[in-house]
Amino acid sequence: MSILRRLRLLLAIISLIYILIPLVVTIPASLTSANYPSFPPKGFSLQWYTKLLERPEFVEAFWNSVKFAFLASLFSVLLGTLGALAIAKYDIPGKSYLVSLLTAPLTVPQLVLGIALLIYFTPMLLAGTPTGFLIAHIIICVPYVVRFVLTGLSGFDYNLERAAAILGASPVLVFWKVTFPLIRPAVLSGALFSFLTSFDNVTVSLFMVSPEMRTLPLEIFSTMQDAYSPIVASVSSVVILISVVLILILEKIHGVGKLLGSAH
Amino acid sequence: MEPVRYDDRQKIVRLSTEIVTARRKRNWRKYIYCGLLLFPLVAFIFGFFVIPMLYILYLSFIETKGETNAFYSIGNYVHFFTDSYYLHSLWLTIKISLYTVVVSLLLGYPVALTMAKCSPRVRGLLTLLVASPLLISIVVRNFGWYLLLLPNGTVHQLLISLGITTSPPKLLFSEIGVVIGLSNAYLPFMILSVATSLYNIDPSLEKAAAILGAGPFRSFLSVTLPLSLPGIVSGVVLVFSMSMSAYVTPALMGGANVPMLPVVAYDQIINLLRWTYGSAISYVLLGITLIMVTIFTRMMEKGRYREVFR
Repeated sequence: MSILRRLRLLLAIISLIYILIPLVVTIPASLTSANYPSFPPKGFSLQWYTKLLERPEFVEAFWNSVKFAFLASLFSVLLGTLGALAIAKYDIPGKSYLVSLLTAPLTVPQLVLGIALLIYFTPMLLAGTPTGFLIAHIIICVPYVVRFVLTGLSGFDYNLERAAAILGASPVLVFWKVTFPLIRPAVLSGALFSFLTSFDNVTVSLFMVSPEMRTLPLEIFSTMQDAYSPIVASVSSVVILISVVLILILEKIHGVGKLLGSAH
Repeated sequence: MEPVRYDDRQKIVRLSTEIVTARRKRNWRKYIYCGLLLFPLVAFIFGFFVIPMLYILYLSFIETKGETNAFYSIGNYVHFFTDSYYLHSLWLTIKISLYTVVVSLLLGYPVALTMAKCSPRVRGLLTLLVASPLLISIVVRNFGWYLLLLPNGTVHQLLISLGITTSPPKLLFSEIGVVIGLSNAYLPFMILSVATSLYNIDPSLEKAAAILGAGPFRSFLSVTLPLSLPGIVSGVVLVFSMSMSAYVTPALMGGANVPMLPVVAYDQIINLLRWTYGSAISYVLLGITLIMVTIFTRMMEKGRYREVFR
């Protein structure tokens, strides 16, 4: 092995550690028995997990996060899949412009999007409401679904649909028996990706919250700004574990790297 | 009685018009289906993305004086570019974003190179390890850095016990902390962009360089690096524009000590309720990012290796 290759491997390992270390230290830190979080942790206890369950604001924030992420991914998949099906199938003038319009929310910084939606929603009385929150999350999720489904449909043979129709299948049956099974991986990964995007989001959510409606990342964000407590380590560990499970499912369906490659 | 003559010509004419009307009908139906499928999505994006963005652009050109006076002017932008506080904040934002780009390029390139040269299985694993942190909330990743960078935290103790320094520098709530947080957050984008362009390099080119007598270092400098420039450019553009407008990491890792433009804009909107001015800051941020990115891309595409961008 040449020196150059060894150097390259060494540097690559250092940057991999750099990428993963904030996630790796959090879980042990949550198991500390001390009153302040540290890595390596002092002693071992699960007290910060039981304390987590005694804090109603964290439990409520968790369910809020799950609820909004579920609804955001459901609506994004419905809107995005139908739209992408139409774009892929029909000859629409200015198709590429339409696609870039529909995926434009990805290119605008979330901070600017949050500011724009807050200012726009306030006179409509949507600011600080669950509806406004949900709309903002759909806006940041739906472009991903459009891209994934369009990619999934890129090699689609429309003769299959025609064959089914000639054999007497109604349009609904054609969709359920022919089209949908073929784009199912794209739709599923769009749904999971949207769920994670919404579940993780802080920046847009910051502009959409009200005191009585908060999500888990927001709760972590504000706790970190006020106090330095191991409870943040235990909440973060819960978030990491949930995300890792979803990421592994996503990897099985489609490959996380491939998805992110087509998303950006 | 005259026998009824079957007029072929009439039938043919009728048939052909029938086909045309049927086709037209089907076309209409097609348009209706297409419209029905697309309408909800397009209406949603227009109503909740395009219009709000245009609305704050419009607001940014309204200047308010006192409670009731409001008039059209470019005063908000003039105010921004004449007040030293905001100019300093803009400069700080650009500086930190550039540092972030350099750090992520230096750390990212070796990983991308390793991904390009290893077996498909290892490549899959590396891609998963590199990409998955992007799907974990940024606050969680920042908290990990809190643990490491706090005064008397892991990194400080490590620096002292290794004898590198006795009074370690302030890491958290400083510019270094923000650069660490941002480069950690956006490094995966750099790696994935560079790796994509490295995958496309024809391996026979490196063999040709070796046959012509170039050592591995020379072959890297003259073949691999120039051919990966498109990936470097897209990675730099992505990381730079994301760093320019990141809010969470500067707020958590920099706090009040590092008033980057997104933190200032948030303060104007949420705490001071100066919406017209906050809208103007948003568009300044978008505009400056776009200008910097365009200048950089142009420079690279017109530079020495302009062929690789074709």
